[in-house]
Amino acid sequence: MRTLILAAVASLVLCAPAQAQRLAGVRPDVASDEGGLWAVSDKTEGSARQSAELDRDPALNAYVRDVACKVARDHCADIRVYVMDRPFFNATMAPNGYTEVWSGTLLRAADEAQLAFVLGHEVSHFDRNHSLLSWRRKKSTSNAMMVLSAGVAVVGVAAASSATTYDGASSILDATRSLIDVVYLTGMASLFAYGRENESEADRLGLDRAAHAGYAPSAGTELWRAQMGETQASDFKRVRTSGTRTNIFASHPLDAERIAALQENLKSLPNTGETGRARHRAAIRPHLATWLRDDLRRRDFGQTLHLIGRLAADGEDLGVLNFYRGEAHRQRRGEGDLTSARDAYLAAAAYPDAPVAVWRELGDLRRKASDAAGAKAAYETYLAKASTAEDAWIVQDSLNSLTSGK
Amino acid sequence: MRRVLAAMAACLFLAACTTTSTQLAVKDGPKPAAGARIILIQPDVHLAVLTASGLQDPRADWSQQGKDNLTAEMSSSLQARAHQFRMINPEGAMEGRTGQLLRLNEAVTKSIPYGYIPTKKGSFDWTIGDGAQALGSAYDADYALFVTARGSYASGGRVVAMIGFAALGVSVPLGNQYAMASLVDLRTGRIVWYNTALAGPNADMRQPQGAKSLVAAMLKDAPL
Repeated sequence: MRTLILAAVASLVLCAPAQAQRLAGVRPDVASDEGGLWAVSDKTEGSARQSAELDRDPALNAYVRDVACKVARDHCADIRVYVMDRPFFNATMAPNGYTEVWSGTLLRAADEAQLAFVLGHEVSHFDRNHSLLSWRRKKSTSNAMMVLSAGVAVVGVAAASSATTYDGASSILDATRSLIDVVYLTGMASLFAYGRENESEADRLGLDRAAHAGYAPSAGTELWRAQMGETQASDFKRVRTSGTRTNIFASHPLDAERIAALQENLKSLPNTGETGRARHRAAIRPHLATWLRDDLRRRDFGQTLHLIGRLAADGEDLGVLNFYRGEAHRQRRGEGDLTSARDAYLAAAAYPDAPVAVWRELGDLRRKASDAAGAKAAYETYLAKASTAEDAWIVQDSLNSLTSGK
Repeated sequence: MRRVLAAMAACLFLAACTTTSTQLAVKDGPKPAAGARIILIQPDVHLAVLTASGLQDPRADWSQQGKDNLTAEMSSSLQARAHQFRMINPEGAMEGRTGQLLRLNEAVTKSIPYGYIPTKKGSFDWTIGDGAQALGSAYDADYALFVTARGSYASGGRVVAMIGFAALGVSVPLGNQYAMASLVDLRTGRIVWYNTALAGPNADMRQPQGAKSLVAAMLKDAPL
């Protein structure tokens, strides 16, 4: 039955034109449906430009813009990249070429090649008009669903009215109602399937774009593997199992399926190219502390710790990274977390890039553990390093109470 | 059959006039003094086609026509009044403090028609706060007049669906268009007057003549 309805929806949906590539520098006709979408996107872009979450650091923006242009090639002038300080792994592309890269993505891309893959994916959505085609598909599918539901209703009502018993009529109407639901659900599922096809195509073309710009093509699979690792590291069971289950209403393919498809594509690409690891790290280094603090606000400490583990793999920025490792443990308050927090703060303190807050937190932890001498030493170090800090008086007060033995 | 025709005629008759709902902060309160300086923020217009199944398909060209027509009509109908009007393009004012005020005003006026804020029931005391003074000093003005227009027009398919579903006893709405106007006292931030005009068939803002009748309805009770 489902196949029959699927076929009916498909036959009523107007055939989408072949997914042609966009010409560079062309604005759509203002009277077209595409022109309408662009006007709405222009407005959204206007509010993004004013957003408090917009990261305005010129060096960071220049870096992301540069990578975007390398993969966008002749669409370089068509796209505008906005870095948003949002602690999630996400990037978006609007029909008019306005694209957002969230700080959570910059933090999770291990190198420039992985960022290039993400941007290549988004540029491919633009180049292949995916948002316009999805919108057209949505319009025709919902029209088709309406016509089919009406047809089912007419037949059902006619059948019910010719039924000879009340029970007969009411069971025909029940069947009619559930058939209308099936029509609706089948239509929705076909829309999501179309979304998944677009995502897979953007993955393939994005990888192609990144590889042609001279980036290592293994970046795509590496990025998705890291994402799977982070999903598994979640504190929440619901998140951990989300990556292994699929359903017909998913808008994106499963990570594992994406990796398999990308590995297939790898075969046709030269296995050379640079990763740009050092350049990427240099670009995000000034933001590590802020972005990690934002990431803690998601309150999935298992994921944050996994992320910090990846960032620490090369032995760089260990003062900042160990401090936030300590913060994640301290805020989680699970079994053994306080000990892990203390160890992480201690590790951080050995590096020149450790934030001064390391010594305040160490002082608090030691004080709780009744290590008065250790706490005093830590508080004194904090005050020596941050005598003008806003909370210096609080730390001074804690120190005084330790000294006076209260 | 006759009853159906009568009902249809009544529908058409009801739809034939543009309806308005005016709200004043203070009934018969003080009006802007003669010679008051009023800035008119260029209308914010968004129009769409209503597809057969009821999705709104944005039409940038109609939005632009609507905006042009409303802007022209507002300018000419307000010129004749006792105040000084000046048109401001919000595109150039979205930066900094003035931009924040424009967005705040948008959020506040959007909340008025829904009436879901319990403390606002039975009284009309909306304000964007005395921070509005920043807008007044930036543009050397006493009042600001905002106009927002939204709407959708039924596609051919939607009309067919309406007729078809009417036979099944299901009513399918065919799009509507409306314009909202609010007058803000820039010294106090209070919204002193607010009106919504629901367009009838002779008030299509895509045509200059239609915009004229829509603006006339919208400004009918304005304290200007």
